[in-house]
Amino acid sequence: MGKNPDREVRMSSIARTAYRARKDWMLYVLILPALMYFILFAFLPVAEGANISFQNYRFVGESEYIGFQNYQRVFETAGFWRVFRNTVILGFSNVLLTAFIPMLLALMLNEVMFSPWKRFVQTILYLPHLFSWVVVGGIWIFILAPNGGIVNSIRGLFGADPVFFLVKENLARSLYIGINLWKQAGFVCILFLAAIAGINPELYEAAMIDGAGGFMRAMYITVPELMRTLKVVLLLNVMGALRIFDQIYVMRNEVVAPKVDVLMYYVYIRGLEQFDLGYASAISVFIFLITLVITLIARRFMKYNV
Amino acid sequence: MKSNQISKSLFGRRLFVVANTLILLMLALSMIVPLINVLAVSFTTDLESFENTIKLFPRDPSTIGYRTLFKRVAILHPFLNNTIVTLVGTFLHVFLASIAGYMLTKQRFVGKALLVLMVTIPMMIPFQMIIIPVYVMMRRLGLIDTLYSLIVIDIVATFSILLMKNYFEGIPISLAESALMDGAREFTIFSRIYVPLALPGIATISIFQFVSRWNQFLPAVLFINSPTKYTLQIALRSLVVSQELTSTTQQVANNTRMAGIVISIVPLILVYIFAQKYFIKGMMTGAIKD
Repeated sequence: MGKNPDREVRMSSIARTAYRARKDWMLYVLILPALMYFILFAFLPVAEGANISFQNYRFVGESEYIGFQNYQRVFETAGFWRVFRNTVILGFSNVLLTAFIPMLLALMLNEVMFSPWKRFVQTILYLPHLFSWVVVGGIWIFILAPNGGIVNSIRGLFGADPVFFLVKENLARSLYIGINLWKQAGFVCILFLAAIAGINPELYEAAMIDGAGGFMRAMYITVPELMRTLKVVLLLNVMGALRIFDQIYVMRNEVVAPKVDVLMYYVYIRGLEQFDLGYASAISVFIFLITLVITLIARRFMKYNV
Repeated sequence: MKSNQISKSLFGRRLFVVANTLILLMLALSMIVPLINVLAVSFTTDLESFENTIKLFPRDPSTIGYRTLFKRVAILHPFLNNTIVTLVGTFLHVFLASIAGYMLTKQRFVGKALLVLMVTIPMMIPFQMIIIPVYVMMRRLGLIDTLYSLIVIDIVATFSILLMKNYFEGIPISLAESALMDGAREFTIFSRIYVPLALPGIATISIFQFVSRWNQFLPAVLFINSPTKYTLQIALRSLVVSQELTSTTQQVANNTRMAGIVISIVPLILVYIFAQKYFIKGMMTGAIKD
């Protein structure tokens, strides 16, 4: 109601039509840059990516259509399945850990009565989210370094020999998952805290009257009220999981590569370093379809359960 | 009996508070100690920066790390490139999101449903999934290995457009109407009424863009080849990543690497300190959007 200026403005009908036309012409100009961007850098690339995936595409010279050969090659390479496995393992752990641990953190912070301390912890926990993966990776490479790193310095106090943690193959995945948690936990935690702030205080008052203690209140009021946020966070994490790139690109090395190289990194290397563009595009299309399916399922799941 | 129960629960509560405080303190320290360590090491001498101690203060403060960073590593050029890309990109992003968002607040115009679809669908197309064709497109447009490629990428985002649209819709229509009655032109109404009243939204988008452009990494990895076009993150990466991978370059001491980290996070921390409320606001909108 009343949102449409046209309806409110009193003019003769001819004048109004003329005015509308002129105004509409202006309107389309306003959205034109955005549309052009989306066409050039979203819609066309999706179509072109699919197209390239059916060719032995070259930047220079003739490219020809080769049917499903790229896809066949993808599914027949052991390298692809290795990075697929790594992506699923790292992604799945990230999805769960960076949802439940921040939720726990939010519950803990919610119990803090002294608000400057609460705000301080909140602010500090959020900090790493601001930094790029180059910075976070750089900080951790240094923390874990054999000479000068904090961890090995502490070990040194107890007389232990320095360990070069980042080239330990069996430690790699846990480290990468832990560092991702370190970077993202504070950010996700703030989402939960905001949701907690929105809970109707009458629920707590009623529970207090019924004699529920702090733990009971958290378990029976706060946690159920957080389920919607939890689902949103899980969905966001799933979206992010298949796109892991920066962290791996910065932190990987040849020793741990078999355990941590992920799909997007593989696409980048195969496509833009080795110029096997058809092959890389086939993987992209495959991941894109998986993402789409997961998103649709998750959205439907969320809609029916809120 | 009853008082016993109460004192027991009080004791439990106290125990919980102590444990809670300790755990939170440990977590906060896990963030603070590394950052102080980075800062301290950045001000050490070359030799001291390799010592195996938990350094929270340089024993012998020195700016040699920073001098090496600007002289031998020549970080200034990537830093300036980063600043240009960030400022120009953020400005254009906010401008385009504002005008597109304003357009979408209009109730009736031909093709509205289609336009809304064309604006919202790209949210489902993550950049990472289309890097190859986007690279091909950039090549075709002749933007590979130019800073333009980094400015153009992400110059428009669905999220920002919708955020601006929401802000504009919150502005009472009567304001625009009375201006229209007074004979104001559409552009005047937009720039004099809508933009000033939507400043919190503009601030939120600006800050998020600033941070994400300052940290922009994947596009720079993809599109930039020549060292004169390097952005900060690319330069920083070759600096901080473990040496055996970059063995062709000369040994860089830890103080120089940490100095690189410090200069790349200082702008972010400044923005964070001065605009914290917009961070929280933007995050909320971002999460609720889904």
